[in-house]
Amino acid sequence: MQFFKFTEEQELLRKAVREFVETEIAPKAAEWDEKDYCPMELFPVMGELGINGIFVPEEYGGAGMGHVERAICLEEISRHSAGLGIALMTHHLGMAAILDFASEEQKQKYLPELCEGTKLCGLSVTEPGGGSDFAGQKTTAELVDGHWLLNGRKCFITNHHADVNVVTAVTGQNEKGRNLLGAFIVEKGTPGFSEGRKENKLGLRASVTGDVVLNDAKVPEENIIGEAGSGAKIGMACIGEVGRAGMSAICVGILRGCVEEAVKFSSERILYGRPISKLQAIQFEIANIRTDYETARMLLYYAAGKKDAKLPATADFAIAKYHATEAAVRSSKRTMDLMGGYGIVNEYPVGRFLRDALASIPSGGTSHIQQLIIAGDTLSSYKA
Amino acid sequence: MNKIWVFAEQVECSLDRVVLELLTKAKELAREMAGETEIAAVLLGCNVESLVESLGKYGADKVYLAESEELKLYNPSIYAPIITELVKEEDPDIFLFGATAIGSELCPTIAAQLKTGVAAHCIDMNINKDGKLVATVPSFGGKIVGEILCPDTRPQMASVKPGIFIQGEEEEREPLVEKVEVNINTENLPLKAISLNKKEIKGVPLDKAEIVFCGGFGLGNKENWEKLERLAGLFGGAVACTRPVVDEGWAPGEHLMIGTSGKSVRPKVYIGFGISGATHHVCGIKDSGLIISVNNDEKAAIFEISDIGIVEDLNKVLDQLLLKFS
Amino acid sequence: MALNIVVCIKPVPDPQYYDKVSIDPETKRIIREGIPTIINPVDKNGIEAALQLRKLYGGKVTVVTMAPPNAVENLREALAMGADEAILLSDREFGGADTLATSYTLAKGIEKLANFDIVFCGVESADGATAQVSSQLGEWLGIPHLWNVFEIEAEDERNLKVKTKVENGSMDWEIKLPCLLGVAREVNKPRFISAMGIIKAKKKPISIWGRDDLTLEDERIGLTGSPTKAGEIFEPDLKRKGEILKGSLEEVVDVLTSKVRAAGINITEGKGIGSEEVSEDE
Repeated sequence: MQFFKFTEEQELLRKAVREFVETEIAPKAAEWDEKDYCPMELFPVMGELGINGIFVPEEYGGAGMGHVERAICLEEISRHSAGLGIALMTHHLGMAAILDFASEEQKQKYLPELCEGTKLCGLSVTEPGGGSDFAGQKTTAELVDGHWLLNGRKCFITNHHADVNVVTAVTGQNEKGRNLLGAFIVEKGTPGFSEGRKENKLGLRASVTGDVVLNDAKVPEENIIGEAGSGAKIGMACIGEVGRAGMSAICVGILRGCVEEAVKFSSERILYGRPISKLQAIQFEIANIRTDYETARMLLYYAAGKKDAKLPATADFAIAKYHATEAAVRSSKRTMDLMGGYGIVNEYPVGRFLRDALASIPSGGTSHIQQLIIAGDTLSSYKA
Repeated sequence: MNKIWVFAEQVECSLDRVVLELLTKAKELAREMAGETEIAAVLLGCNVESLVESLGKYGADKVYLAESEELKLYNPSIYAPIITELVKEEDPDIFLFGATAIGSELCPTIAAQLKTGVAAHCIDMNINKDGKLVATVPSFGGKIVGEILCPDTRPQMASVKPGIFIQGEEEEREPLVEKVEVNINTENLPLKAISLNKKEIKGVPLDKAEIVFCGGFGLGNKENWEKLERLAGLFGGAVACTRPVVDEGWAPGEHLMIGTSGKSVRPKVYIGFGISGATHHVCGIKDSGLIISVNNDEKAAIFEISDIGIVEDLNKVLDQLLLKFS
Repeated sequence: MALNIVVCIKPVPDPQYYDKVSIDPETKRIIREGIPTIINPVDKNGIEAALQLRKLYGGKVTVVTMAPPNAVENLREALAMGADEAILLSDREFGGADTLATSYTLAKGIEKLANFDIVFCGVESADGATAQVSSQLGEWLGIPHLWNVFEIEAEDERNLKVKTKVENGSMDWEIKLPCLLGVAREVNKPRFISAMGIIKAKKKPISIWGRDDLTLEDERIGLTGSPTKAGEIFEPDLKRKGEILKGSLEEVVDVLTSKVRAAGINITEGKGIGSEEVSEDE
């Protein structure tokens, strides 16, 4: 086995992103959370830094790096603002659908501006009836006179205000009567397409989540990604790897926040004449938080490394996501406990960490969904 | 005869405070040196002869006076060669500069021309048993200080920030004035000083502020914090605080917090109100030029690391300051 | 005409961690283990100034440092910011240099470059903070130099208009190239490093020059070439005078006011005005 070590470039990238985050994000993160404000103005800045198109090849305006580097960016950003983290991770999600499945013309048309951050991307799959029941989608797409007419409603869509939306819809049925899905690129301003209501979320509030309404949305025929029938594959692949990788990275960022806040508070808080970090009870908590952070981090970068090596990593991302989100909830609660009364005061970020961690669970499939995926993989892989 | 020189920095015919502080220190050093010691000020400018009197009063036995229209505005390309030539002729043992913007440029420039050493930003100076200057200089943000000697080359040069040494009492002394001939051709100099602009400022960020009003837990309430903000506005300074002030919600956030877990500042002046003086806070202010503390507890540790202390109810001091300056 | 622009940088222990620096009581050496080495913060303003000038007139930005071999990492970062190439002056013989010997060595390194039009330095390093290398380098190179520069405006590629910070104000200057500018952090906002920059930096050249690669006088380098010698080092006692002001409230506040003025803050009763102009990003 090779020793797990980031390359010199990856270390430099982390340092560079951290500098950006500490200057442009950390001072404002609490305010964004309080005001439920998504800092769209940072997308062009992240574009200049190459963060938007971190895993996109240079010919489409990206940085030409991979998913390990993407995880580094998301971890660093989410250390201070998990909300902006999910807005960015969703931007990546839509871009991944285009990069991995769209035609050369589509890539050339959309990816450069998305990399620049002058346009925002999103992926609309989930419907009121549920997110994980892909085939049970109600949104339909019908080809009429050279246009796809899309009808339906998507909900819990992060970046529902995106300029470029990848939307899945039922295009018909196969011979067994099962739904066939298509994935479509729907641009903002398309007739019949609109942002629906915006949710008032518990956490991840520096991102916008809401409905996408399709009412005879008139999408040019060439805007289908791949062909009718490939939508399920596209949606599953993007969410399964890019989506879960993103959520894991966000929670690894939250976990590092927990470690740092716990250490800082317990070393500064003096009780009975010495810092509470000298107390064993506090040290047990700190050990647990650190362990949660390190394990989540290992799982994340291991899975991302596998993806960059073009190895199947769906189960690995499910494990990473399941562990990281639950660990983030656990550890932010522990950090709050350790802080006593201070923990619930909003001047400290820990309450936000807990809310963000909780809000991270459903995105990309709840923990129960991840367990099902992990179990399915385990039962087939370990069969005698 | 030993010679200690002080660069008599003037701008618009007004001496920088640090010159008088350095002359005072030069007198102390002269007393530590064996044998007779002459203290001289080096004064460059245009129509600046009137400054000779106060240079004498604070310790100059002699003033080297270089006057010319070309010297009206400071310019290192003109000032440095004049002074370097003078040093070569007169061979002083010690040459002190204020670590002001001008001094911080001129001093190393002249040192490079003379190929001698400078102790920069000294916080202390004395003469050792060999008659040599031992200067104490800070490094690592003041966490470490070290002695600097310049054993083999002359002059032994040093720069000192304003406010480090204390200006002494005036004495009657008529310094000998020695005019220095200025014959520098400034016609084709590649560096031209165009103008000097004195400026007013408005609110400045904490780490750039020259005066910082810092509140501790002793503030007692948010109203006093707001008074601090008003004062900072009036003085063109910034507000800052300690951890409990953030914790109590009086201050808007941690970005204003000074200490090991917050910011380190080095303003010219720091005024602390109701601050106890815990080490982690002190670390963040130790490089401030002047530390003034207001606390009603005369035993507060903060007084030990302050230049000036006021044992008084901070409410009263705040109100008096606001009354005076609003 | 394209410009050859040089930026001098210094790797320093990250100033955020200076409270962790201490002195080993046995060996009397400074302990700074575990503190990351970064590009001296204000030197990044020097790099930014160079990149902006290159954007205006074209040319090449060369970053130069005198440091131990591991400074390659910091040079790589400067290249990732956008510099074109980097020179590391590294040799055991350079060690123990004070500002005069350091600036001499840097000058010899810069002179080895084909030619140069302008040199940028940061005003001071975070660790030593002598603020002398900039001016002394200008002297060794025999070019006009200015320190504490917070505004640079190019008239054309040979003439610059520059502003420097002085006590309670600023000075305006005109300076011809070749010249050296020691920049303050107000001069610009250094750009963030981009992922693309990191990838490009991989292919940019870093040359390492030792004593034998340079034409220099041995008695001017390292410890030998340093007129200053270090004496004892110690961790300071932070104690100050602690002079307690006595008198009535009015008297005490009057004295406080005069002390504040004496320390260089301009305040006027009744209107209260601050001192030196230090505005960011302008």
